Amino acid sequence: MELPAQQFRTKAEQAYLDMFEGARKALPGARDPFVSGLRSKAIETYARLGLPHRRIEAWKYTDLRARLTDVHPLLSAVGVPVGEADLAQALAAAVAGLPSYRLVMVEGDLRADLSDISGLKAAGVEVVSLAQALEKPPSWLKAVLGKVNPRDDDPVLALNTALMTGGAALRVREGVTLDKPIHLVQLDGTGEPASTVTRNVVVAQPGSSITVAESFGSLGIRGLQRNAVTELLVGDKAAIRHVKIEREGDDALHLSTWLVELGADARYDAFQFSIGAAVIRNQVYARFAGEGSALDISGAFLMRGRQHCDTTLLVEHAVPRCTSRELFKGVLDGEARGVFQGKIIVSPGAQKTDGKQMAGALLLSETAEFDSKPELEIFADDVVCGHGSTSGQIDEDLLFYLEARGIPEAQARALLIQAFVGEAFERVEDEGLRNAFAAASAEWLSVRLD
Amino acid sequence: MLEIKNLHVNVDGREILKGLDLTLPAGEVHAIMGPNGSGKSTLAYVLAGKQDYEVTAGSVTWKGEDLLAMAPSERAAAGVFLAFQYPMEIPGVATMTFLRTAVNAVRKARGEPELSTPDFLRLVREKAKLLKIDPEMLKRPLNVGFSGGEKKRNEILQMALLEPALCVLDETDSGLDIDAVRIVAEGVNALRSPDRAMLVITHYQRLLDYIVPDRVHVLSDGRVARSGGAELALELEESGYAEFGEATRGEAKSGAAA
Ligand SMILES: Nc1ncnc2c1ncn2[C@@H]1O[C@H](COP(=O)(O)OP(=O)(O)OP(=O)(O)O)[C@@H](O)[C@H]1O
Ligand SMILES: [Mg+2]
Repeated sequence: MELPAQQFRTKAEQAYLDMFEGARKALPGARDPFVSGLRSKAIETYARLGLPHRRIEAWKYTDLRARLTDVHPLLSAVGVPVGEADLAQALAAAVAGLPSYRLVMVEGDLRADLSDISGLKAAGVEVVSLAQALEKPPSWLKAVLGKVNPRDDDPVLALNTALMTGGAALRVREGVTLDKPIHLVQLDGTGEPASTVTRNVVVAQPGSSITVAESFGSLGIRGLQRNAVTELLVGDKAAIRHVKIEREGDDALHLSTWLVELGADARYDAFQFSIGAAVIRNQVYARFAGEGSALDISGAFLMRGRQHCDTTLLVEHAVPRCTSRELFKGVLDGEARGVFQGKIIVSPGAQKTDGKQMAGALLLSETAEFDSKPELEIFADDVVCGHGSTSGQIDEDLLFYLEARGIPEAQARALLIQAFVGEAFERVEDEGLRNAFAAASAEWLSVRLD
Repeated sequence: MLEIKNLHVNVDGREILKGLDLTLPAGEVHAIMGPNGSGKSTLAYVLAGKQDYEVTAGSVTWKGEDLLAMAPSERAAAGVFLAFQYPMEIPGVATMTFLRTAVNAVRKARGEPELSTPDFLRLVREKAKLLKIDPEMLKRPLNVGFSGGEKKRNEILQMALLEPALCVLDETDSGLDIDAVRIVAEGVNALRSPDRAMLVITHYQRLLDYIVPDRVHVLSDGRVARSGGAELALELEESGYAEFGEATRGEAKSGAAA
């Protein structure tokens, strides 16, 4: 017999409800009816659903309810001093030094001293700190917050809406093309184990074209529990290139949800690079709302020890003539586990849909594991959809070829591993970012070589 | 220089080399011929150090050292080079990156300084030109989409860059057109020197017209069945491998096909 979720709650499930009750009056926007309305509705959704567990298909391989035993208190911005050296340390120098319009958030707090807000304004991008904007949201933010490809069946997203305390909201003016990426740096703090709940909102108005890089790094906090949501609205004929670099502490829980909606003739090219944290859940909900658009959601993850990285994608082709591509590559060492779940839904009438997904993992140990579950739900007849998945060890014949040319075994393995993930990096247009990924994976591999 | 004594090798539990003896002095070029499946590539792989080739008896001494005790990369550093019968394709590794990594790894192991980028590029261009290799090709992933002939020329380019002391060429002439055989042979001849030895595995006299061997060995059923001078190859072209008790006559007669 199965009890309804609300009759039995785990300690952690209850802790989130208590956290909300305790923080309710102090959360940003507590006195704004729009914001508090959003939050109330979200906490009801969460209370109804509880934490996701393995009997829920989308969470089959990541049983959050079982894994999450203790919920850490909500982090409040306390003004941790952060300098350039800390950034380089937290993100890797190649990422910290990325030529960009940089916006730095420490514990969710947008830090003007480390950010180029005026540069972005001058280039045609409005930037507001979410914590401030929630107190009295501008009308453009009200029009999108919680409305980009919305869902009411995701408890992690609902928790984020109920508890979001920081982040940044950006609006790119019509027709603006930026000359360099916007780099949203998100750092946790230095103190006791804590939860941080942040949300970024990016609105690319029609005809605009931008690159958004989100990087997550660690200043040294223990046991971080992050719930990060990014809402992205890609206007008609607009283009967003979106990159995420995850490099948090070894014991961090990283829950990331992207909500993406594309207008007509729009482009969205995303890449997720994951290297840190203990447990990562990267979920992307993307939806084509206008015809003639294309998206590419790709990524790479390098995991070792007992790390767990779950990538779960849902791409909805709601209208005709759209193209979607997905390519994920993972390198798994030790007892690490990689999960890829890719679902493509083609709605009735969404003719001329072209959707392809591919996932592959390189297993460096006998105990590493990769689970891949593609799903196609197709309700239109004139479509081309496909998927594939591979998982295997380093090809010994290739290894021998390199060794026979004088390259020592460990170095030869590293070269083959880099070649494997490098294929995914090719999907990233920005050369600086591609190089940053290559440098970060080389650093990851150098640990193996020692 | 290279001394192989009573070499027995098992592959997947099956004995392929069954007591092979061969002595290759410095400065000499020896050809190895023999029917398909007689163990020529197996010998080449064992010399280069491929895994899963189990040496059950015998020894291989290279410059007085036990070659079989060395890891493949150590053998390369010690001057052993195998031009593969079937070179590997490696997507994601640019040919140029691979060449540079290999050259510098070998230099490092030999206690020589690594080459600077300009010096390396100059060296590659010079060697590639001799082999009529388009430098644009070297920007592509290693051997991926290369024609059969391009792959073989790429092998000889690697050999020229690594300057080995023992060159083992496993059917480098197969799949090459007539002009390419000449270009590759010229590349190989340019490397002939008193302190370098070569083992040239081939089915065709044509290659040996260009690279005239000091000795020719016929491998049959995992042993050297007969050895002789350069004229032995010509004789085989006439008679085939019938006298070695093989059903097939090898490919020696079909010399016109490429
Ligand atoms: N991995 C393997 N597993 C089982 N048998 C093998 C393996 N590799 C080689 N052999 C067998 O060993 C024998 C010798 O093979 P080898 O490749 O050395 O022949 P070869 O003389 O080079 O032939 P060719 O002229 O066709 O190139 C063959 O019978 C082959 O089938
Ligand atoms: Mg062979």
